[in-house]
Amino acid sequence: MGLNPESRARFNLERASVLMLEESTMGMSILVQILTGFGAKTLHRCETVEEAQATIQKVEVDLVIADAMGAEGEGYDFVKWLRQSRIEPNCFAPVLLTAGHTPREAVSKARDCGAHFIMAKPLTPIAVLERILWISKEGRRFVECDSYMGPDRRFKNEGVPAGTVGRRRDDMPAEVGEAETPNMEQDVIDGLLKTRRVEL
Amino acid sequence: MSSVRIHIPPVRLAKLLRTPGGLPVADAVQRAGAGLESLRGECLAELKGVLDSAESCAARAGPEYDRALLDELYAIVATPIGIPSVCGLASVDTALISLSDLLDYLKGQERWDANAVAVHLRAFRLLLHTEGAADATGTQAILAGLRKVSQRYARPETPPE
Repeated sequence: MGLNPESRARFNLERASVLMLEESTMGMSILVQILTGFGAKTLHRCETVEEAQATIQKVEVDLVIADAMGAEGEGYDFVKWLRQSRIEPNCFAPVLLTAGHTPREAVSKARDCGAHFIMAKPLTPIAVLERILWISKEGRRFVECDSYMGPDRRFKNEGVPAGTVGRRRDDMPAEVGEAETPNMEQDVIDGLLKTRRVEL
Repeated sequence: MSSVRIHIPPVRLAKLLRTPGGLPVADAVQRAGAGLESLRGECLAELKGVLDSAESCAARAGPEYDRALLDELYAIVATPIGIPSVCGLASVDTALISLSDLLDYLKGQERWDANAVAVHLRAFRLLLHTEGAADATGTQAILAGLRKVSQRYARPETPPE
């Protein structure tokens, strides 16, 4: 990835409604400075999970930035609640989780809560912007099942887990079958790879 | 096997980001950086408070493992991670992460190591007050030492003597 901090490409956060969950006053101030710097105007600041839940029930949000909140990871529980709340469209909102330190006990909670991305603090403006642009991409698949509700966590398609047949219609078997069409001629392959002059 | 539903929900944010107006990336990053710079003084004051709270909490520890005290100390030092970098003290962030790791490992093994905690807090104080004047090599040596101390507890099967 790698967003160039000198880029003149434009983006517009002015009309986006952003929910921020952060218990630390200083942490909230840092987030506010970053987001207002990006041009965001509608910021819902929540210091507790209860406040964040009430906000989700009242207003439509386009982006959620939540802190993991302590060793117990209340922030992870909030994201899980949000996904399972069925409050549309908020339950499908892009979620960026931030964490200063993740205790070993909370790693699986962090992985399974349903956030789009987990960012380790310290936060830098360019890294936050890069992640916001990344998680807002359209066409991201959303998975709903008994044990998980959130964005598809498969970033790389490495096939189905070993020893299983996969649960999706488009999952391919690990074994490669016989070719169904004739092989391409070497000339055709060479032609595809040949360097050509391009008229601009 | 449980049923799985896979779908692609609409993302309003993607459309909003593309609407005319807004800011170029370079300007947005510069504005956010300037905003963070304005917090520098507050961040430094906050960190001094964190250090005082951590030292007084650690001073209350007895020789034995005390889960409640460990939880309290963990909350004090893990919560401000990210703040030091705003005031140009990235090394303090590294020290806080190392201390949080150490406390997490100690909790997992139900142990207490007053020396390991004390060395982290002394480094925190040193880095907070002398970062500007300290040379980079010295700072890196301090951080490498801290990492070595906290990593001694990383593997429960080989507890330190």
